[in-house]
Amino acid sequence: MRGNRPSLLRSTPFRLALTFAFLFVLAFILSGAIVYQLMSADLADQLDEAVKETYSVVAVTYAEKDLEDLVASVDSHAALSPKKEQLFSLTDASGNHLAGNFTAADLPDGFSMFAATLPGVPADTMYRAYSGSVGANSLTVAFSLSETEELERIILMGFGWGTLIITGLAITGGALLASRVQRRLDGIAATMVDVSHGRLEARIPLIGNGDDIDGVSAQVNAALDRLSALVGGMREVSANIAHDLKTPLNRLQMILEAAAGKTESGKDVSRELADARAESLQINETFDALLRIAQIEAGARKARFIDLDVNDVVKTIADIYADVAEDDGKSLSAKVVSDTECSVHGDRDLLMQMFANLVENALRHCPRGTAIGLSVARQGDRILAQVADNGPGIPAEEREKVFQRLYRLDTSRSTPGSGLGLSLVRAVADLHGATIVLEDRNPGLAVSVGFPAVEPAS
Amino acid sequence: MRLLLVEDDPRTADYVVNGLTEAGHVCDLLRNGHDGLFAATRNAYDVIVADRMIPGLDGLSMIKAVRAAGVHTPAIFLTSIGGVDDRVEGLEAGGDDYLVKPFAFSELLARINALGRRPAAQEQKTALRIADLEMDLILRRVTRQGQPIDLQPREFSLLEVLMRGEGRVITRTMLLERVWDFHFDPKTSVVETHISRLRAKVDKPFAVPLIHTIRNTGYSLHVPV
Repeated sequence: MRGNRPSLLRSTPFRLALTFAFLFVLAFILSGAIVYQLMSADLADQLDEAVKETYSVVAVTYAEKDLEDLVASVDSHAALSPKKEQLFSLTDASGNHLAGNFTAADLPDGFSMFAATLPGVPADTMYRAYSGSVGANSLTVAFSLSETEELERIILMGFGWGTLIITGLAITGGALLASRVQRRLDGIAATMVDVSHGRLEARIPLIGNGDDIDGVSAQVNAALDRLSALVGGMREVSANIAHDLKTPLNRLQMILEAAAGKTESGKDVSRELADARAESLQINETFDALLRIAQIEAGARKARFIDLDVNDVVKTIADIYADVAEDDGKSLSAKVVSDTECSVHGDRDLLMQMFANLVENALRHCPRGTAIGLSVARQGDRILAQVADNGPGIPAEEREKVFQRLYRLDTSRSTPGSGLGLSLVRAVADLHGATIVLEDRNPGLAVSVGFPAVEPAS
Repeated sequence: MRLLLVEDDPRTADYVVNGLTEAGHVCDLLRNGHDGLFAATRNAYDVIVADRMIPGLDGLSMIKAVRAAGVHTPAIFLTSIGGVDDRVEGLEAGGDDYLVKPFAFSELLARINALGRRPAAQEQKTALRIADLEMDLILRRVTRQGQPIDLQPREFSLLEVLMRGEGRVITRTMLLERVWDFHFDPKTSVVETHISRLRAKVDKPFAVPLIHTIRNTGYSLHVPV
């Protein structure tokens, strides 16, 4: 089973080191074999040369019809080699031994090889021989190969030991390097295991040498920073949601308990029923709004984007809410630049809801007599839609927080609302790639939404 | 009316069937999409009410198949899948209306009534008349007792929706969708404001009120009984 294999063999750095060591040793053996071949060929050539040279030295002592000198020369050369590393043989035409320390038989002229078993020499010693005719006689000089063989053996031994040492060094060195890398990988793995177990503050230890593993680790750490920030935010939101939904659920429970008490004493509970209904509607609305924001943030709606005129959307909203504002003791006016095309790529339903939310926000949180103004203007490649009022405004330190889900200003806790209106506005703006800025108008608040303009197709 | 309800949740099904029966409708209940498709193509119903998440064939595919079979019975989706795109998906699949759970029964009933009595062939009416109130759809003029009433364009559409649904309850949500194209619930009194302005013009100067408020539900335009 794969899982049961020793972990060292599954480690990528160790495998790499092993592969590298194998290749290195293979290269060493190959080059050794080539060197050995070249050297042994060279040694054989040198031996041939030496044999032929000695042959010439001996043969030159022969003069016409004078065998004396040659015999003497052969014998003296033979005497110099008591261990029979060098063999000399002089035979007459009929093969009779004339001089030398052995008798060559049936050797062809020129170079040849033979094995000889002679007294005082290991059996079957190989010799390299050169034979030729000197007058009517036959002269053979042969050198033993044992010296060459000894040299070759030493070279082979050298290569053998070299291979062993190099293999050992390559494997241990590789394993050492691999284990260092493996330790760092293990560190990363351990950190990720910690993170997956929920310890989001765990970070990969950095060595600080700026290598690639450190680089990747730093990037993973940065991603973890972002993740833990997001999760922190989510936790806060979930806590807010839980808290904000608990309140109406508690109220609902109290209403139902009051109703239960009343039924027992036979009283009419229709008021409690109506209250309970309103409460559950409110809870449902909050859930719907949360879901809607989540879906908008997920971006599914983008597939249905079309080019549309922001002027048109803002005018429609102004149209719808002007009477509502008037009945509420406020005024609402729109200033749109109808002659400039203000096309954006977007979703009409969502933009309608976004502007409706902004206007309703102003209507709900401003006192009577407030003037609310809607405007659309083109600024370069952006289209700026603004909803402004001269009401109480939002304190500077709260301006970012109002976009958080379920966040409500302390001053507005008493007015109805879910604390989700501006979150939805932000989600819709983000979906459209639009910026959203809250500004102080002294007094009042201006919410500016800056859309990237779409050039009308000409 | 004869209605087909395809819904697998027994509680919702009981709630809807009881309510519809009380309202005087005949309601066939089926638990899965295959049976629903079979019944919808075999029997003549006035309205189909379908959940989207039902066993077998899902509601969306069921309505698609019903339409593919050439059956044009009005269909309304009744579902907890209430995402921003899901409504559009439902209408594209051949549904005529879309109601998200949890819902008020009065809302469902109003929508079923609106669908069921829709004229089979969409005959092009040029004028609407209820009692002494007349609406010319071509010249976009409204008169009552022969006196012209000056209406804003949106007040005109509001009155048109109410007049077309004469005698039936039109819920607040239905008005928002049909008159203002709002597919969300505004937190301010958009509908109430415009209804009160319409009333001031259409009802107030005259003896008999035609626009009636149905508590907790919506509005209805009819001659008082």
